[in-house]
Amino acid sequence: MSFTDQEILETIRMVELETLDIRTTTLGIDLGDCADPHLESACEKIYAKIVHQARNLVSVADSIAADYGVPIVNKRIAVSPIATVAAASGAEDLTPFARALDAAAKEVGVDFIGGFTAYVHKGFTRADRALVDSIPRALAETEHVCSSVSLATTRAGINMDAVNIFADAVLETARLTADSGALGCAKLVCFCNPVEDNPFVAGAHIGVGEGETVLNVGVSGPGAVRSALARLGPEADLVSVAETIKRTAFKITRVGELVGREAARRLGTVFGIVDVSLAPTPAVGDSVADILELIGVERTGAPGTTMALALLTDAVKKGGAMASSCVGGLSGAFIPVSEDQGMIEAVRLGALSLAKLEAMTTVCSVGLDMVAVPGDTSAATLAGIIVDELAIGMVNGKTTAVRIIPVPGKGPGETVDWGGLLGTAIIQDPGAFSAEGLRRRGGRVPAPLQSYRN
Amino acid sequence: MGRRFLTAEDVRRAPGAELLIEADTVVTPQALEIARAAGIQLRTEAGEWSSSAPERGPDAADAHELPEPEGSTGPGTTVVVTVVGRNRPGVLAEVTGALGAAGANIDNISQKMVDSFFHLVLTTTLGPEPFAELKARLECLGGEGDYVVRVMHERVFSFMHRV
Repeated sequence: MSFTDQEILETIRMVELETLDIRTTTLGIDLGDCADPHLESACEKIYAKIVHQARNLVSVADSIAADYGVPIVNKRIAVSPIATVAAASGAEDLTPFARALDAAAKEVGVDFIGGFTAYVHKGFTRADRALVDSIPRALAETEHVCSSVSLATTRAGINMDAVNIFADAVLETARLTADSGALGCAKLVCFCNPVEDNPFVAGAHIGVGEGETVLNVGVSGPGAVRSALARLGPEADLVSVAETIKRTAFKITRVGELVGREAARRLGTVFGIVDVSLAPTPAVGDSVADILELIGVERTGAPGTTMALALLTDAVKKGGAMASSCVGGLSGAFIPVSEDQGMIEAVRLGALSLAKLEAMTTVCSVGLDMVAVPGDTSAATLAGIIVDELAIGMVNGKTTAVRIIPVPGKGPGETVDWGGLLGTAIIQDPGAFSAEGLRRRGGRVPAPLQSYRN
Repeated sequence: MGRRFLTAEDVRRAPGAELLIEADTVVTPQALEIARAAGIQLRTEAGEWSSSAPERGPDAADAHELPEPEGSTGPGTTVVVTVVGRNRPGVLAEVTGALGAAGANIDNISQKMVDSFFHLVLTTTLGPEPFAELKARLECLGGEGDYVVRVMHERVFSFMHRV
């Protein structure tokens, strides 16, 4: 097969200059058979199974990166919701399970392990409650473990009682990890309509509908889309913009498909999905906000931003869907505020408020992600922010998530620097008015009508 | 289906000096330690137990049978070599010399100049030297301030640019 110089140089440019990479190869491992009435035995089994299954993950990913010349940035593990695995043990404190996950992650050399998870969108089992109550300690005492909780779905409605308990868990996690700028909260997320095959942290876990093991891949490439739009120029109309994004997303996803299939083959497991997401990093140019600004808004957050993001998300999905036989996960555009230079700048300039960010989440692929609020934010206010985001997901039948970080000792406008991929955040003001009345009522929001969609 | 795990608790409860388990049983590190300390032998039908390859589940049963993808990494594989750097005499000779020494055949070659920088693209077919070794041999050429060599498998380009 022969290629033109232009094609070859385009690929090299995407990898070298536009930070195209495979953001994550995530091995999903079902832990259903690790349940045991004896707590220590259950933890032993979890550790042993993960190490047994994932021993080669890092070396396989590295060998593929070397062979194909495309960097694979992260290697991760997603496991079954720990609440279901831990139920048989009857334990009240599930921190030992988190420690077992953490130790296994260290042993096999992955950077994160997701699955300290419970599904409570309709109600709590004893184990679910034990898990949510254990989250603060689990995240404070481990390094690599990520936790997620399903609080709402379109078919079940919103569990307000669970939202309240979750908001308390967020505050307690922030308190226990205050030394590191509430870093524990960066590993904790809640969902409406969670997906079972999400390869991205903090929400990575493997749902009950998945097989024994599965290899999922998350691609990235805001830099490549940004450069393509920059070359297109400001005069092209929106159809051309959508077309350019779609073509770039296609090429990015093809690389993900290649790596995913090859990784699954070398590991001897099943290839699950490619998550076609534009996931920004703090690196200059690797920014979703920059793309929105190239589409035509002066600053992210200005009027028109929601439309630009809608166009971007949809075009990415269309390009991705053509490029891979199995698209899944969250697929779209992520807008994690602290991880995106352009978003940070927009907050700094006062262009992007929390309210506008919420509006943007109606059309992005995730939700309020990596948003920092003052450390003295009340549980009621947190619950209010969370429940607003869940309502958007519930009514629109989409996945929404909240990863919010109340940073102890910091007020609106101050900066917190987590370093690395998590980046820098400017504390945003959630406003002075409370949602205490909602919090006090508790109960459930019934599932919405699926028809009469106006 | 046999026992899937052997835990420390299982070993403690074991009656004799020998424990018969399935070949694909996952033995936890704690169980192994206690068994060693107590002198309990872990055996399978076929002999002494040793850690087996992971069992990836029923869906993955066929995954091991999958063939190497088209254009694997052996002889006949197409490899794209790109070289970027500051122009000086001898660059092409160094790169093609290394390719020749590896027994790789050059199918196509093209170069563009921008100011004093060159951009060289070579499409080659692997000879007896495997991909990884050729890659290592070429990518250590040049250096900072001189030129950079990149060796990529043809599949990346065919996936990206051909449907």
